[in-house]
Amino acid sequence: MIAATVIELRDIGVTAGSTPILRGVDLSVGGGEIVGLFGANGAGKTTLLRVIATLLRPADGRGTVLGADLSGDERYEVRHRIGMIGHIPGLYPELTLGENLRFAARVAGIPSDQVEESLQAVGLLGAIDRQAGASSHGMQRRAEFARELMIERDLLLLDEPHAALDQDAVELVNGLVGKIAANGGAAILVSHDRDRVTAVADRSVELVDGSLR
Amino acid sequence: MWVTIPFGAMALLLIPLAIGTDAVLLERIGPGLYWVIVMLFGVLVSVGRASVETGAQRDASSLLGLDPAAGYVGRSISAAGLLIVFELVVGAVAVVLYGFDLIGIPWLAATLIIVAAGLGLLGSLAASLVGSGSAGSALVPLLVAPLSIPLLLGATQAYEGLRLGDSILPWMLLMAAVVLVAAIAGVLTARPLQES
Amino acid sequence: MPSEIPNRSWPWVAIGVSVAVALTLAMISPADAVQGDLVRIMYVHVPAAWLAYLAFAVTLVCSAGYLFTKNLRWDRLAASSAEIGVYFTGLAIALGMIWARPTWGVWWTWDARLTLTAIMFFVYVGYLALRRTTADPRTRAGRAAVLGIVGAVQIPLVHFSVVWWRTLHQPASILRPDGPAIQDPIMRWALLAGVIAFSVIYTSLMVKRVELHRLNDAIHLAERGEARPVAGASVAAPNLDEGARDV
Repeated sequence: MIAATVIELRDIGVTAGSTPILRGVDLSVGGGEIVGLFGANGAGKTTLLRVIATLLRPADGRGTVLGADLSGDERYEVRHRIGMIGHIPGLYPELTLGENLRFAARVAGIPSDQVEESLQAVGLLGAIDRQAGASSHGMQRRAEFARELMIERDLLLLDEPHAALDQDAVELVNGLVGKIAANGGAAILVSHDRDRVTAVADRSVELVDGSLR
Repeated sequence: MWVTIPFGAMALLLIPLAIGTDAVLLERIGPGLYWVIVMLFGVLVSVGRASVETGAQRDASSLLGLDPAAGYVGRSISAAGLLIVFELVVGAVAVVLYGFDLIGIPWLAATLIIVAAGLGLLGSLAASLVGSGSAGSALVPLLVAPLSIPLLLGATQAYEGLRLGDSILPWMLLMAAVVLVAAIAGVLTARPLQES
Repeated sequence: MPSEIPNRSWPWVAIGVSVAVALTLAMISPADAVQGDLVRIMYVHVPAAWLAYLAFAVTLVCSAGYLFTKNLRWDRLAASSAEIGVYFTGLAIALGMIWARPTWGVWWTWDARLTLTAIMFFVYVGYLALRRTTADPRTRAGRAAVLGIVGAVQIPLVHFSVVWWRTLHQPASILRPDGPAIQDPIMRWALLAGVIAFSVIYTSLMVKRVELHRLNDAIHLAERGEARPVAGASVAAPNLDEGARDV
């Protein structure tokens, strides 16, 4: 069951060594919301996304994601409910697209027959046996969207979701995001493409000087 | 792997050029040299691209719910598998070049497996400790080498024991202890190390 | 935050007194029947080796302390002890080699203790190298603590393997006469004084080194708290009008 508040961040700070990357970040995202996140290059958008994904523990502040405290061990319990597609593909290049998804299905405890369904939905069924490392960046991103379609997530974090995608794939992304929001989940889209994101997002925030405005 | 195997074989070829080609001497020291090559080059195998994830891959598998300890064990097993292939291929080269006999094949096989497991576990643990980055990856062999000395001594002395007809159980148990310590340490520290 | 390391004088007094006593006893102790005056190296070599083992044991305990408490004080103790231990280990090895050359005719022999000491040296050099690759104090502390414990736990296994190995491969007796048993009471007192002097040196160095680490961590913390620009501030909007080349 998804709580009313999916993300609650208060005064979050992250540093790399002694250099602050995020400082005093406050963010509240409720169920059903799609939020666009903008900011200049190097502003810390990806870092914030990784904090929300529970992959990076903040140095300062407090926060919860899907009810799990970001500083405690309970964040491991909710990770399987969070999907993230970064700007660098997370597929294993030596495996085929199909093998990558079968691996994900196996770890996530999903029947493997959903792999072909998902690849079909993103238009990659014909490339199921193509090695991920030999596939284009756009194809790899589609495959990652197929993975997220296959796994029912409550929170989806997308970094540059529309990059390297053709128009059909862009509509696929918007559809996926809308589906999660309709089910009471939430999504955050990090992008430099304001037009495409504001067309689908409920609201937008901007990362400036390490904080959100 | 397809670079490390030829490199290891090349090292076995170079050594007699430096120390002499006396067949009796080479037969005597061959097994020890083989295990030194396995230890030094094996570390390169266990932290090579084939067995270590990138940051994006690690994030993706974390968000699938993969327990960090399971990831550590999986990486170690994959490294051990690669190491066994390395040991077999380079071992064949060593037997040809140095002319020593393969005595007690079941025990030799067990030694190969235990050493591969130990180096795989230690290599994966060291790789987790140093994190990503070129400076870190250069450090991994330095961390692994001294800790894997019991594996080196165990493997060489086990062969000596087989050659002389002595009991090699203490050496096998010693190597197994190294594997056990590395496995326990890796599993217990997998989660906090992933954090960093 | 203190602006300088407190200038406590007791360490220097203690070092001065203990070293003076140890040196005096070392000089007045009789020469060995076999080694002659060469035996006096042992009054430094043995305490250095003893301190090295002690330092690494302290690193083990403090590494465990950090993992349990997450208090950086334990990490500073572990790191300081490892640094001092590495220096003492290097000193012990160097002095041992200087003693071995005229005594055994070789710089090095594959004695179990020597070999183990050399292996430990590399384990803790690796520990220090690992610390240098990580800038963040907490990340560094966690990783170093794991290695500090794993390294120390492996040492008994390394010890057994080396001892068994040397048992099977005894060196030729001409190279390895049994070490002399210390009969003379002044020699025993000289050795004990050396151990005490080195212990005082270790403790004094620890005090200074831990304080240095604490100040470094405080600087790091202060820098984080300052109104330093965020990392993203280093990226500005491009200005094609300035410095643009004619194409």
